[in-house]
Amino acid sequence: MERLNILIARLRGLLRREAVIEDIEDELRSHIEWETQTNIERGMKPEEARVLALRSFGNFGRIKELAYEIRGGGIMETIWQDLRFGLRMLAKSPGFTLVAVLTLALGIGANTAIFSVVNAVLLRPLPYPESEGLVRIWEDPGNIAKNFVNPRNYADFRDQNQIFEQVAAISTQSTNLTGEGEPERVINARVASGFFSILRINPALGRTFLPQEDQTGNEHVAVLSHSLWQRRFGADPKAIGQTLMLNGESLTIIGVMPAGFSFPVGIDLWTPLVFTPEQMADSSRGSHFLSVIGRLKPQRTVEQAQAEMDTIYHRLRQQHPESLAKWKVHVFSMYQDSVGGVKSSLFTLLGAVCFVLLIACANVANLMLARATTRQREISIRTALGASRARLIRQLLTESVLLALVGGALGVLLGWGGIKLLVHLDPGTIPRLDEIDIDRSVLIFTSLLSLLSGVIFGLAPAWQSSKIDLNKALKEATGRGSIGGGQAYLRQLFVVAEVALSLVLLVGAGLMIRSFIRLGQVELGFNPENVMAMRVALPRSRYADRPPQIAFYRQVVERVKALPGVQSAALVSDPPISGSVGLWQNGFGIEGRPALPPGQGNSAYLRWTTPDYFKTLGISLLKGRLLTEADNQDTPWVTVIDEAMARRYFPNEDPLGKRVVVYWSEQRPREIVGVVSHVRQTSLDYEAGPHMYIPYYQTPLNYATLLVKTPTDSTALAASIKSEVLAVDRQQPVYAVTTMKQIIAASIAERRFHLTLLGIFAGVALVLATVGIYGVMSYAVTQRTPEIGIRLALGAQASDVLKLVIGRGLLLTVIGVGIGLAAAFALTRLMSGLLFGVSPTDPMTFTGIALLLTLVSLLACYLPARRATKVDPMVALRYE
Amino acid sequence: MAHQKADLLQGTLDMLILKALSLGPLHGYGIIQRIRQMSGEMLDVEQGSLYPALYRIEQRGWVKSEWDTHETGRRAKFYTLTKVGRKQLIEEEKSWDLLALAITKIRQAT
Repeated sequence: MERLNILIARLRGLLRREAVIEDIEDELRSHIEWETQTNIERGMKPEEARVLALRSFGNFGRIKELAYEIRGGGIMETIWQDLRFGLRMLAKSPGFTLVAVLTLALGIGANTAIFSVVNAVLLRPLPYPESEGLVRIWEDPGNIAKNFVNPRNYADFRDQNQIFEQVAAISTQSTNLTGEGEPERVINARVASGFFSILRINPALGRTFLPQEDQTGNEHVAVLSHSLWQRRFGADPKAIGQTLMLNGESLTIIGVMPAGFSFPVGIDLWTPLVFTPEQMADSSRGSHFLSVIGRLKPQRTVEQAQAEMDTIYHRLRQQHPESLAKWKVHVFSMYQDSVGGVKSSLFTLLGAVCFVLLIACANVANLMLARATTRQREISIRTALGASRARLIRQLLTESVLLALVGGALGVLLGWGGIKLLVHLDPGTIPRLDEIDIDRSVLIFTSLLSLLSGVIFGLAPAWQSSKIDLNKALKEATGRGSIGGGQAYLRQLFVVAEVALSLVLLVGAGLMIRSFIRLGQVELGFNPENVMAMRVALPRSRYADRPPQIAFYRQVVERVKALPGVQSAALVSDPPISGSVGLWQNGFGIEGRPALPPGQGNSAYLRWTTPDYFKTLGISLLKGRLLTEADNQDTPWVTVIDEAMARRYFPNEDPLGKRVVVYWSEQRPREIVGVVSHVRQTSLDYEAGPHMYIPYYQTPLNYATLLVKTPTDSTALAASIKSEVLAVDRQQPVYAVTTMKQIIAASIAERRFHLTLLGIFAGVALVLATVGIYGVMSYAVTQRTPEIGIRLALGAQASDVLKLVIGRGLLLTVIGVGIGLAAAFALTRLMSGLLFGVSPTDPMTFTGIALLLTLVSLLACYLPARRATKVDPMVALRYE
Repeated sequence: MAHQKADLLQGTLDMLILKALSLGPLHGYGIIQRIRQMSGEMLDVEQGSLYPALYRIEQRGWVKSEWDTHETGRRAKFYTLTKVGRKQLIEEEKSWDLLALAITKIRQAT
């Protein structure tokens, strides 16, 4: 308590200087009064008493000052003085201040932007109440950690577990929304009734699903997303109770979710998830299309959940070996599931911007060193007047911190702009994108970073500048040179550091560029040029069986093929390189071979196509024949396989004529009639396995992508194609109209995004480092002008001088490059997850960047070197 | 001679002030008087030394101050020893005794 009072007294001392001075005066005067009084009591006359008391008191003014210095006013007062002085000094050299502030703003702003992303995506908890208890459950066929879940498995998880409060399955699909207004394609999530209570989000209007609405008969209800409600129903509260048509079914609207809520991402509305008896049959373990969320019981952990699910799954595997042989189950925390994938790339970016900031600090430190030289006279005088070294350092540091804080404030603005740009450019790779903004944590981070930067770049120059040999400094007219030695060393140190840091960044960017190029060189196996793609999906209500589906597809393909300007057209279940979303992987058996023991079944990827698919994408036939129009419902079932499948399953025999049975809800064998070349099916960086092509005209799916090859790149025909489809079925919208090239570009969009960002940072770093090197070399030349003049006077050639200057520059660069290479070698293994086809220590990249940086530094040295050769020896000598 | 001593050893002065206050609260002038008293008129502390030292130990929290009216009606700032100050006094006296002992030993060596 007493300590607190002391503190308050000190603060009061700062705030009310006059009060403190008054108090001191009062006290000292009262002392004099007492002494006067005592003297009077001893018998002196009053005036004598007073005079004696005053004289014995001593120097009143001095004591008062001493007292004031010790009491209030102490450190706080001097800091205030420093601030005012610092501001004045910065204002006196506007050029320096401007450059320094801009440099710092650049470095700090980049950090602010990236940190905002890190903060929103990684540091903040998910925007659901008590989100630590949320988990995701995935199945794993052996090579895909997040594969969809099978309905019957899900039901078993739900009924047999003890560790979850609730689980809920989700199945998303795009569907046709009709009724009032235009038919629209919307994303519908069919969810188990516990879905909303797991997330603990209440509807904004109405209600969410009741448990009984999971059952057939009760499931004709829907909950709208806020944006759909605004868009389609004009945010009318009376929308509750109205109906809408989804895929031909009539649903009653029972609720609307709050604005901003959309789980999974991009959902327009939720409907109940109802399973058919076939799906719930004990033996139906083959088709996987659900994603599952759950909430742990209180105090339970994800590890416990994983252990329990492993046990349950083990049991299921033993009961159904033919379907689940090599499968596993995974439980992830929802947080890990959402953001785990981007953690490493975000941290790489954060590291990169830190480097940029360090380089910026080094540049500003050099600027400060240069400036300190011109202020040497002032510093010397202050030292002579009694300023302690600590006081000088404190004052110089105050200036640095001021610079840094101003730079930081500007940096926040830059960072804000940077965030807007990031969000705009993001190709969907950053989760929780809408949550990114500049909040309190970001501001605190920026302030601390600014303070730290100020200290970092200010400390060394302050230390160096305050170290003065007073005699020399005051004697010298120009005040130059006496600081030279230590300063020069520091400046060179900074340059070496800048070169090293830039090298690391450039190597990182270089590696990513090479990965990107490698990706571009991947053999596609098909020709994506001039191919348009669009999707159709047939609602169950109007296309319940095969015949109508086949009829629809046939008519569409015929009509589109007949359009002028169309070279060929075909359907495919999912085009290549569109990710693993539509990937059907299924077990199959080869007729005539002994049944394999459970757990070792064959599996291949399936793709449905119409006959002209291979022609449309330029996939070549290797053996046998392609699918034709003749392969229809009335003819024997056939399939075309790719060479990967031929190699793996028919290595020593001719696959033509062999028959396979696919275990996907069919038991009829198919004859292999052809072998085609292999195609990159899922993505550029992932090699999928064997493939089988199945004719739409024999066993169709209820959705397809229409591929149309045209002679040129233009998408002018898109409208006509759409109208041909509508001519077949007026209620059938096509959606997701794009081109094959765009699909491929989208698949590597994430990489391109990271590459762009990293490239920008590396570029900025390079520019800053170049400027830094130029500045230091230029300054060194100025410093050494007398020496150069003497050398020239003594007969040195211009080339000798060049060699001298460039030699020094080269030495610094080489040291910096050496350190940078070592650091890069150690650090790039941290980003190996982002690379493709390139090792993190790729020698070509390392040497290339080292050479590049050396070259750039030499260029930066060149101008100052040339200036050195132009030195007039007479002028230089007189300078001294 | 007495002045010399009070000037040279600041720590000593602090200890003396604390000691003076240990017998009861005093104002600045009173502290000087009491020190003179306790030392048998041998030690006379100068105001120029007293007040800086007084303010310093007040900052350290060893004493606290308060304006008050003396019985004679006059106002003065009175200083009181704090708990921490009391402890500090004991410490200072201990180390002073040790120092004195060491110096005596040196003086007695031939």
